[in-house]
Amino acid sequence: MNNLTQMTRLEVVVPARDAPAIRELITSAGATGYTSVSGVSGIGHHGQHSGALLFNEYDTLTMLITVLPPGNAGELIDAIQQLLSTSSGVMFVSDTYVSRPDYFQ
Amino acid sequence: MNLILRAQVATAAHDIVPSWPVESFIAVNPLAGHERRPFEAAAASGVVLARSRDAYLADAGRGRIVDADLEAALAERVPELAWQLAIGGKSVSALSVAVLDMRNAQWNSPAATEPSAPWLDEYLATWVSSYLNPDPLWAMPHKQHGFYQAWRALARRDPSLLRTVRRMVTELPVEPDAALAWALVKLGVPAEAVTETLRTELQHLPGWVGYIKWRAEKIGDIDLLSYLGVRLTLQALLGLTCVPSTRGPVLANETPQAVWHRAEQVARLIGGSRTDRDDIAAVSRVLAINPVPDHALTWQKAYELHYRTALVNALRNTDPYTPRPQLQLVMCIDPRSEGMRRHVEVLPEMETFGFAGFFGVPVRFSRYGARGAINSLPALLTARHHLTEEPTPSAQAEDHITSGRTRDAFRRSTHRADSGTVTPFAFAEVSGWLYGAISVLRTLTPTLEARIHRFLTPSTAALASTVTIGDAFTLQERAAMAETAVRMMGITQFAPLVVLAGHASESMNNLYQSALDCGACGGNPGAANARASAAIFNDPDVRSLLAARGIEIPSDSFFIAAEHNTVTDAVTLLDRHLVPQSHVDAARTFDRVQRTAAGRLVKERAQNLPGASPHDPARVQGRAHDWAEVYPELGLAGNAAMIIGPRQLTRGVNLDRRVFLHSYETELDLDGAALETIMTAPLVVAQWINHQYYFSALNPDTLGAGTKTIHNAIGTIGVIAGHAGDLRRGLPWQSVGHGDQLFHEPMRLTVVIQAPLDSIGRIVSGNQMLRNLLDNDWITLTARNDPAALWYRYTSYGWTVVPNALKGT
Repeated sequence: MNNLTQMTRLEVVVPARDAPAIRELITSAGATGYTSVSGVSGIGHHGQHSGALLFNEYDTLTMLITVLPPGNAGELIDAIQQLLSTSSGVMFVSDTYVSRPDYFQ
Repeated sequence: MNLILRAQVATAAHDIVPSWPVESFIAVNPLAGHERRPFEAAAASGVVLARSRDAYLADAGRGRIVDADLEAALAERVPELAWQLAIGGKSVSALSVAVLDMRNAQWNSPAATEPSAPWLDEYLATWVSSYLNPDPLWAMPHKQHGFYQAWRALARRDPSLLRTVRRMVTELPVEPDAALAWALVKLGVPAEAVTETLRTELQHLPGWVGYIKWRAEKIGDIDLLSYLGVRLTLQALLGLTCVPSTRGPVLANETPQAVWHRAEQVARLIGGSRTDRDDIAAVSRVLAINPVPDHALTWQKAYELHYRTALVNALRNTDPYTPRPQLQLVMCIDPRSEGMRRHVEVLPEMETFGFAGFFGVPVRFSRYGARGAINSLPALLTARHHLTEEPTPSAQAEDHITSGRTRDAFRRSTHRADSGTVTPFAFAEVSGWLYGAISVLRTLTPTLEARIHRFLTPSTAALASTVTIGDAFTLQERAAMAETAVRMMGITQFAPLVVLAGHASESMNNLYQSALDCGACGGNPGAANARASAAIFNDPDVRSLLAARGIEIPSDSFFIAAEHNTVTDAVTLLDRHLVPQSHVDAARTFDRVQRTAAGRLVKERAQNLPGASPHDPARVQGRAHDWAEVYPELGLAGNAAMIIGPRQLTRGVNLDRRVFLHSYETELDLDGAALETIMTAPLVVAQWINHQYYFSALNPDTLGAGTKTIHNAIGTIGVIAGHAGDLRRGLPWQSVGHGDQLFHEPMRLTVVIQAPLDSIGRIVSGNQMLRNLLDNDWITLTARNDPAALWYRYTSYGWTVVPNALKGT
């Protein structure tokens, strides 16, 4: 596809206080980076989440996005699944395509 | 890296609450990890949630809890008890029968026991404290490789381990992941029991474990994986076993015979000699649905209900204050501000407001020329703006800094000299008499010693300066901060002089001083935030933008920062060099008013402060300099409620310095954004503080810090009791009790709001954190739409009208 390289993208939405554990797993998995979006709003299993709070970053939802080579993603996916099995949060896994694969290896 | 194992460690540590270092002591609910569950399900091993039966009965004996409180508490907790029954020919309500049983039944409180300290815990505590100590005499070798690797490198020479064990240490895996995995296999932990085993191991040394979790997230030089790597590896080497614990206390069900016996006693108390078997059976049906293990938390709820009802009944509907006030004082929501506000408002031309003490200006602050900085913002936020100072007379600044650095160098060198192991005896001979004289002076007349010390010491605080708001924030950010503050506080008109007072506590030899500073400023003094906020409000460009947004600040209104010293109750105006000539008289008037108010407040506080006399306020104020004083002040002891609403609700009411007061006016917050900010930030900070006091009072040895008198500091990290062991969590006993008596009444936070119920309901619905706290009974919420409306209580089923008055009070 237009000289793009297939990668695996993980999007994880968790309470901000649980985000450090996810970040630690992402970096331990050898991911070269991640994107963190704080104050995520929406409706989910636990009801409504109003999003960004003015003076409270601790009790909002955070979305962490990372991209890895497909061969490296499996163990990270299993680990995050393990972490989310007893706490609130969701993970979306999808194929994605990047133009600079060396950035992600 | 073993990612699955790392995930298992994170899962096991999920409910552990990070512990902040004592240098910036942040109040946290030590059971915050349980807030997703009902309060009464939060009981863990060694933790109690309520007081003893004797304590509640004593309260009942002095009218602090009455039958109506118990009936109301039972109606909330056991709504099925809404029926009448006949006993000995009398018709009685099931609620009154249950109340009689609660007063009559015997039960023992589970004791809050201090965990034992087996050898392994002591060993690990020593290693962790050595590794993390920020100022050791000798730095730990191999520290740069992480905790596990530093231990692995050094343990082979540790004489406290057997020679065979030391030999095996050299063969351990190099990486902590691999070592932990090896240990789990060696210990025979099956794969399905790994997480629970790790969770059990993390229950030991809870103080260090909580601190390591904080440190891993904020600094990153240690984590729980490496800690567990050492702990389990050592257990495997020593041939110890790991057994997952059965979590939570086990409560025995009552036998039918025991219920029948209780019922018989209650039935005879009601029916006397006319009681028959049918009466006892009827009573036993009531008692069966209110079993004895539930009594403690019903007593606790009744205890809280009594206070809440009295508080709501005390609130007034005073007339709005319409003429323009001459002076306005904005103080932190901290309960200690309530006393000052009440005494200042004796003058009708004074108006006061309550606002979170960081004044909506979250900053990392460093003094001019200082090497360090403090995070002066709520722990809920990450510091993004750096504020510093710019000296006004720049020519003097360099001299000032030089003299300050000379003073610090002199102090450091004399400290090194008098504490060094190779210091010549000549040093002691030359300087000993001076230290001795200072010690005698400090012991006998601490106030005089403090005056002499102040006179001889050049202070950087004396340097006239301004805070660098222009560098820290853009104009748009400054205007947004000012608008948010005005709308959150509900200020509709501005006085000629508006004083923004942060607060700080002053005491000597007090490891817990930061616990007495401002909770909204991350356990730091609030002066920097007050100065920044005043500068923002005085900025003409900000005022222009505010005017465009409908907020007109008169040109003759001047904002000035101040700091409230909560030990002496002096409110000192800061940056006086910035006061324009036109406002000098107003500033002097404020000085006069606050001096009178401070005098009254100190006398009032002295009635509760251990060892203090209202007849000698100077001695109470002198506690700020007394290095032997363990009760410099009472901090937030007694905190019980938070009121969000206009001052008309509380002006003139003596709230006994027990209430967090946040000003709020619905008229300035039509979309409810300001109320949402108050409910999701200051309220959360208040709840953290409230629960820290609650659990420190009920569990002084496990969730509190025990007595101060045997504390030793581990650098600026925290304290241990004695010479070794776990890092202490929570507040020292001296913050909640005196002798063997509590002076803090442990009560969950009562929140009272005057705002549209629809807005409050919408805000709660949109925030899982608020839903957890309210639906799970960690806090309560009472609200009304406006002064003419009835009070309603928030329940998980909707709003319920609050009865006007309590019968029997």
